[in-house]
Amino acid sequence: MKKQLIPGCVLLALSLVITLGSISFLSPCVHEDGSFGACHWAGRSCMGIGAVLGILAVMALLLRRGRRGVYLSALPACLLGILTPGTLISLCRMSSMRCRAVMQPALIILFAASALAAAAGAVCAKES
Amino acid sequence: MRMIAENVSRTFFRKTGEANYFFAVHPVTLELDEGSVTVLTGRSGSGKTTLLNLLSGLLPPTEGRVLLGDTDLYALPDSALSLLRSEKIGVIPQGRSAVDTRTVRENILLPALLYGKKPPEEEADRWMEELGIASLRDARPKELSGGELRRMAIARALSAGPEVLFADEPTGDLDDVNTARVLEIFRAFAHEKSKAVFIVTHDSEAVKIADRTLRMDAGTVL
Amino acid sequence: MKTFALSVQNLIRKPGRTVALSLLTAFLSLAVFGGTVVVLSLRSGLQSLESRLGADIILVPSEAQSKVSFKDLFLQGTAGAWYMDASVTEKALEVPGVEKAAPQTFLASLKADCCSVKIQVIGIDPQLDFTVQPWISRSLKNGLGDMEIAVGCKVEAGMGEILRIYDRQCKVTACLEPTGTGLDTAVYCNMDTMRKLLEAAEEKGINHKIKSGDEDIISAVYIKVRDGADIGQVNSALTGKLRKVTAVRTRSMITGISDSLAGVSRTVTLLIALVWVLAVVILLLVFLMISRERAGEFAVLRLLGASRQGLGRMVLTESALCGVLGGAAGTALAALCIFPFSALIEQQLSLPYLLPGAGTILALALGTVLLASAVSAAAGFLAARRLSRVDPGSALRGGT
Repeated sequence: MKKQLIPGCVLLALSLVITLGSISFLSPCVHEDGSFGACHWAGRSCMGIGAVLGILAVMALLLRRGRRGVYLSALPACLLGILTPGTLISLCRMSSMRCRAVMQPALIILFAASALAAAAGAVCAKES
Repeated sequence: MRMIAENVSRTFFRKTGEANYFFAVHPVTLELDEGSVTVLTGRSGSGKTTLLNLLSGLLPPTEGRVLLGDTDLYALPDSALSLLRSEKIGVIPQGRSAVDTRTVRENILLPALLYGKKPPEEEADRWMEELGIASLRDARPKELSGGELRRMAIARALSAGPEVLFADEPTGDLDDVNTARVLEIFRAFAHEKSKAVFIVTHDSEAVKIADRTLRMDAGTVL
Repeated sequence: MKTFALSVQNLIRKPGRTVALSLLTAFLSLAVFGGTVVVLSLRSGLQSLESRLGADIILVPSEAQSKVSFKDLFLQGTAGAWYMDASVTEKALEVPGVEKAAPQTFLASLKADCCSVKIQVIGIDPQLDFTVQPWISRSLKNGLGDMEIAVGCKVEAGMGEILRIYDRQCKVTACLEPTGTGLDTAVYCNMDTMRKLLEAAEEKGINHKIKSGDEDIISAVYIKVRDGADIGQVNSALTGKLRKVTAVRTRSMITGISDSLAGVSRTVTLLIALVWVLAVVILLLVFLMISRERAGEFAVLRLLGASRQGLGRMVLTESALCGVLGGAAGTALAALCIFPFSALIEQQLSLPYLLPGAGTILALALGTVLLASAVSAAAGFLAARRLSRVDPGSALRGGT
């Protein structure tokens, strides 16, 4: 029983890092004139996806039935997260910029790790 | 297959009086015939287990030699002796002899697995049944009592189908019913399958199934 | 004895022990692989800077030295804007020993499209240039045309894409290979395009000290010294002849960089060595502890007919497998930290940084895994020796 909770806890922790990270230590570059570029909105979008993942993780931990379905629904959210910075929403032109050097790789790794955790959760979940 | 020990002795280094070694086993010559049960008794510390180890190929003698058929055990290199022991000599040791990471059944099949041979599954199941531990086949050794562990070791030694079976205090942890059952199994194993059985024991019950009884005192077989 | 299957089973049955041993080797390989990739990247970055500069001496206005460090342009791509008279090129060519002189004009762009930083636009004279042209011609046969630009590898723009610089549309016709230096963030164009961009900047009211009308204004002259000529002498001759111009010897600049690189390399090597010593000591201790813990198990196996050699092989196989597992995990973790974040590492180090090729990285990764498993197996060897000497007779004596 306890082992079954591990993927949910990992997913919750990762989603917290994504949500809080995309507005703090992973946040994209700030323009000198204070305006926002597309990368800023890419970060915000990832924050939203991270929050959704967090809610799914809490549901997976609390629900007694349908756990596998919750984990499976986290997978497309992770895919969306992976595609958001750079593919769906463009980032700065220069790869030395913070959004490309820090935000994009870190978020892709975090979303990929979340996808693995969700997949593990789906495999481990025993439907009672 | 017949086993012969010729003038086998064993000394250990230990300061005793003027000498700096002592005889654990004084030179002894004895034969273990196929189809017979030999029982060795004696006080604690008289050298029974050392003699059993010498005969079973586990402890090289200081002098003398041990022959299984025509093969001089201790003339063989370690790898050949080990293979021969795994195929022809079964040992039930005095202490705990289970590998904790494996189940009871896996422990019983281990000798064959060591050499990548086909494990004697039917034999193992049959002996577990006969020794009353069939229900424990998937249990881990840590879940077993001393008596159950002892029976597991006996099932393991018998499943490998040895030519000579050595048992060191095999009934030490067993109740009367199981003691009788095990001794009967040993007797039948020797007589019906024509194997040599050598038992070291304090148990007077064991003497009853013996074809020959030996007594040991201060390293000397009387 | 057939020990491989048993070794694998032993590892699976004792997951805690397996993970602990693997973690140690993972730590080792993380340090080795990560550290080596960083050091190699720094070395190839320096080599690339040397070959990309291609010039022996660079002439810049004296003010450039104080305003923005000239070195920063090459290392961090910091945009620079300083200017001098174009006649410097001809004057330089008159100095004995000078073989080639190529002028360049720098222009710091406004925000390019979405980017919040300025991009360094570098104007080159295709007739005289010998520093950038060879790199451009690799991907562009006909050279740079009007309103065409070549972009450094770190400017994310595909071929044929339009970049807006000062509201002028520039077509990307070449993408340069990575150099690991600040030159990767620059955009190159010919002098005609540069003039048009300057006009545009003027229209926007950007106060560049250069005006589009001043046709003869350049930012730097790259000098190639004739074979056999003494660079030092040419350097002094240039400084003597040209006023308000500083001659920077690229060699001295590169020596400075290579000194800091040597410092970083030394630190990284020291760290790797430290991690190794620690990990090997811990690994040895752990194996010694394990050999004590497993003495009983091995006595049983000896009793059941296992040979000394077979048992030794079993321990070696187990420890080598732990090494492979840990080595692969550590290498993968290091790769996960280094490759996606290479841009960040480059910025933090402020040194030329160019990742080695895929082949080198693959070989390095394989080597690291092999090394980790060899070290693990060597530590396991000690345990194997102790364990294979177990005397089953006495070990299995005494209470059940």
